[in-house]
Amino acid sequence: MKRYDLIIVGAGPSGLCAAIEAAKRGLNTVVFDENEKPGGQLFKQIHKFFGSKEHRAKVRGFVIGRQLLDEADRAGVKVVLNATVIGLYQDKEIVVKIGDGIEHYKGDAIIIATGAAENMVTFPGWTLPGVIGAGAAQTMMNLHGVLPGKKVLMLGSGNVGLVVSFQLMQCGCEVTALVDAAPRVGGYGVHAAKIARTGVPFYLSHTIVRAEGEECVTGVVIAEIDSHFQFIPGTEKHFDVDTICLAVGLSPMSQLLKMAGCKMEDNPKRGGQVPVCDEYGRTSLPGVFVAGDVSGIEEASSAMIEGKMAGIAAAEYLGYIEEEELKKELVSLEDALNGLRQGMFAPENRGKRIETTEEGIAVSENLLEHGFITEEEIERFPGITHKAGIHPVMECTQNIPCNPCQDACPKGCISIGDKITSLPVVVDGSQCINCGMCVASCSGQAIFLVEEDCGDGTALVTLPYEFLPLPEDGTKGKGLGRNGEPVCDAQVVSVKNNLAYDKTPLLTIKVPKEYAMKARFFKAL
Amino acid sequence: MAERIKEHPILGIPEKGTLVKFTFDGKEMEGFEGEPIAAALKAAGVMVHRYTKKEHKPRGIFCAIGRCTDCVMIVNGVPNVRTCITPLKEGIVVQTQYGVSAEPFKQ
Repeated sequence: MKRYDLIIVGAGPSGLCAAIEAAKRGLNTVVFDENEKPGGQLFKQIHKFFGSKEHRAKVRGFVIGRQLLDEADRAGVKVVLNATVIGLYQDKEIVVKIGDGIEHYKGDAIIIATGAAENMVTFPGWTLPGVIGAGAAQTMMNLHGVLPGKKVLMLGSGNVGLVVSFQLMQCGCEVTALVDAAPRVGGYGVHAAKIARTGVPFYLSHTIVRAEGEECVTGVVIAEIDSHFQFIPGTEKHFDVDTICLAVGLSPMSQLLKMAGCKMEDNPKRGGQVPVCDEYGRTSLPGVFVAGDVSGIEEASSAMIEGKMAGIAAAEYLGYIEEEELKKELVSLEDALNGLRQGMFAPENRGKRIETTEEGIAVSENLLEHGFITEEEIERFPGITHKAGIHPVMECTQNIPCNPCQDACPKGCISIGDKITSLPVVVDGSQCINCGMCVASCSGQAIFLVEEDCGDGTALVTLPYEFLPLPEDGTKGKGLGRNGEPVCDAQVVSVKNNLAYDKTPLLTIKVPKEYAMKARFFKAL
Repeated sequence: MAERIKEHPILGIPEKGTLVKFTFDGKEMEGFEGEPIAAALKAAGVMVHRYTKKEHKPRGIFCAIGRCTDCVMIVNGVPNVRTCITPLKEGIVVQTQYGVSAEPFKQ
């Protein structure tokens, strides 16, 4: 039996952060992970993250993954891969399956950072090849460079369903429809809007009746459901698809904690069976800590902070630091974590219906029911202003913890203020220089640069365009509205892809001036 | 290999390494060394990895991270190998799994 000061189970964002903090404070630390590579799910996340600078906002997930691995290396963290922890016993002893052998270790402290597993739903045909988890789609396309399918139906409108739908389109798949049994979109409105404007239809209050096919998926039938989740006859719709992607939530992988005798609770707001723990991840068993999704489903940004907290708390538990230092360090981490837990999508608001923003503005119901904001609704939000010359139009209408746009503008045109969830506003008297940094920095792709009247009957709209092929200058096509319908003729007049945009190319399209506030996407003819 | 991503707007051109040969149900196929066997099969358009023992229903990739065991196949004669997390090597023999056997059901 080998012994370590600290054993961490899981080398995802929380486990690695915990290991880095512990190793920096002198703890002899080891991390076991069942996978071939460390980083958990971070390397499958190719979108820019939300939050503020301290949460590594506007950095793409896989880049954060690389940064964490570098930090772990520098801190001297030992990560053992292909090592499945199969038991956690009394006195913090664990057994690990490595290759064909079983090894036995003891830690003076243990951090469980095992993350979560995808949920699934059943329907006739759900076991057919071609019905896959959303995580499987991400694994295939973003890690292995293989298309998950050609025509995909996505079930689930939470952030995973929305983000993965966008990623499927980025790698060249067609997303035929986005379906959710809930009456309203579950994830961020900005994620929904960037899919809807490409023309993907949203079917809320719908779910899958059956998958079709003998050997693999060849089609799917969905139908509308009533408030008791019963199918409404006559509402069936058929789609020819080869893939059905399930994004119906995550459940904490807390089995090891239950096995060890931790006090557990069933908490739907945290995603299911979770350990009872305090804000620093201390469970009912002294010296056993938790961090990340295993203690409640959130996201990678919060998992990283929880990991740091647990790593520092473990250092204090083992006497490597004093209680004073623990308290001092945890204050700033608590602030960072609380920052992420604000706004409409805060854990405490799960399941609640929110009708107005913090600013007292009625939310866009159409965004929630169909994935896009109507022309009537958009004008009431503070990011929408009209003036002569180029100016930012920020279609950010929900209070989410995110503020990179205000730091991105070198001219100080955009303000969110001290409260990270506030809607962005255009600063009075500020002068936009058309640099595009706000457009590229918006993780929700909700900022556009608009010149409403060029003087010759046309207007210019600059939009983010993370797709291939990238249209060239002069390409003619259609301007699409927020709902993805073609609204006007459009021509690309500029394509910018600066290093500073971090792979978010900006297209500027010329449209008739009446469409300056209507055209939000471009489709080449 | 029509199902591979040639160029990705964020990730660029995938770096896949060495092309190797293997067999699937006796047919020679190609894939990249070290990628999951399931990825190579998917890229070649193979959807069915096995048929269930009792009801003879087809199964393929579901979770792609080694949890669900839907994608198990017979690899080099060993049944129940999770192809989504088992790296592809030159010359391996991959077979569709019927129940826990490589023998198709008799009926």
